[in-house]
Amino acid sequence: MLRQSLRSVFTLTLICFMIGGLFALYLRYAPSSQSQTNALSQRMDNLVSTINNLEQEIAAYEGIVQTSRDELAGLENQAQTEWLRKLQEELHGAKLRAGLTPVTGPGIVITLDDNVVGQKADPNGDPNAYIIHYEDLLAIVSELKTGGAEAIAINEQRLITTSELRCVGNVILVNTTRIAPPFVIHAIGDPSILADMVTYGRLDPLITEGFPVSVSEDQALILPAYKGELQFKYTTFS
Amino acid sequence: MWWLVPILALFLGILAGQHAGIQVPAEMVKYLSIAILAALDSVMGGVRSLLERTFNSTIMLSGFFANALLAALLAYMGDRLGVDLYYAAVFVFGVRLFDNLSKIRHFIINFFRNRKIRRASDWDGSPAVKGSAPSREEVL
Repeated sequence: MLRQSLRSVFTLTLICFMIGGLFALYLRYAPSSQSQTNALSQRMDNLVSTINNLEQEIAAYEGIVQTSRDELAGLENQAQTEWLRKLQEELHGAKLRAGLTPVTGPGIVITLDDNVVGQKADPNGDPNAYIIHYEDLLAIVSELKTGGAEAIAINEQRLITTSELRCVGNVILVNTTRIAPPFVIHAIGDPSILADMVTYGRLDPLITEGFPVSVSEDQALILPAYKGELQFKYTTFS
Repeated sequence: MWWLVPILALFLGILAGQHAGIQVPAEMVKYLSIAILAALDSVMGGVRSLLERTFNSTIMLSGFFANALLAALLAYMGDRLGVDLYYAAVFVFGVRLFDNLSKIRHFIINFFRNRKIRRASDWDGSPAVKGSAPSREEVL
């Protein structure tokens, strides 16, 4: 009797162990088995995490670029002789024009947002009619440049000679960084000329369509430096 | 306390499964779940037969493997044939599982009730039969 029950307990133990193992194997797969029914959404999740990881990487590298620039600036400022000082001034001027340093000056601030109110009032309408498109931003930037803007930044992304303004799906990329509404455009230049350029330019139809748009003048704007790297591999003096 | 051993083994199995380097392919997860259901049914049947003293290790082990494998295989066949045999297996094993559980419950309740009755009759016996408690004569 004892032997029989020992054997039965052993059998049960063995089977319980195997069930536990099977169950763990199943559980390990269970979280992803739910989204497995929707392979597309799983793929999207993967892509989103990839994008997030890459953006973190970019931020880390931008930090490295910044520290190297600070180091470089420290080295540059050590120079004392007249000749070196002249070179330094030239360098500063070049950096200012290239957009590699934070700058300050008078200018305007333009704030744009999607027409959420209009979209709610017209739920069956074309949603494209109620969002700010990258063409709008592009037009505004061009108008600001025409009005003599010396430095422009959109959502803290400084526009420099290689900056792009690009539409990717439903986001806008500036300096390959995603920006989202509300869009805040800072521009340094003659405030009244810049304000006139945009209010009688691209902002005019946007205001008519009911987009929440505001333009304000500021005597001391601060624009950030361009965060990326700026290398010319193919271009040389001719 | 013997029943603690299988429960311990269950947790050990979970641990082992988590640390084993086996990855179940996505298509197999469905069949794995039905196999687990069949295995659970086997265990419940085993516990029941143990309580009823009709336990047989060979029948138990063979039933465990055969049920789990056949259930998974049938579900797979059903998917290939376009007939949802999966649900048939779920139904059969589900019903048997609950049947076994209720029989186990009945058995346990009866066990405790019988013990209570036995104890009560022990108390009724006027001189101590078991010898552990001092008898009236000894105390006096």
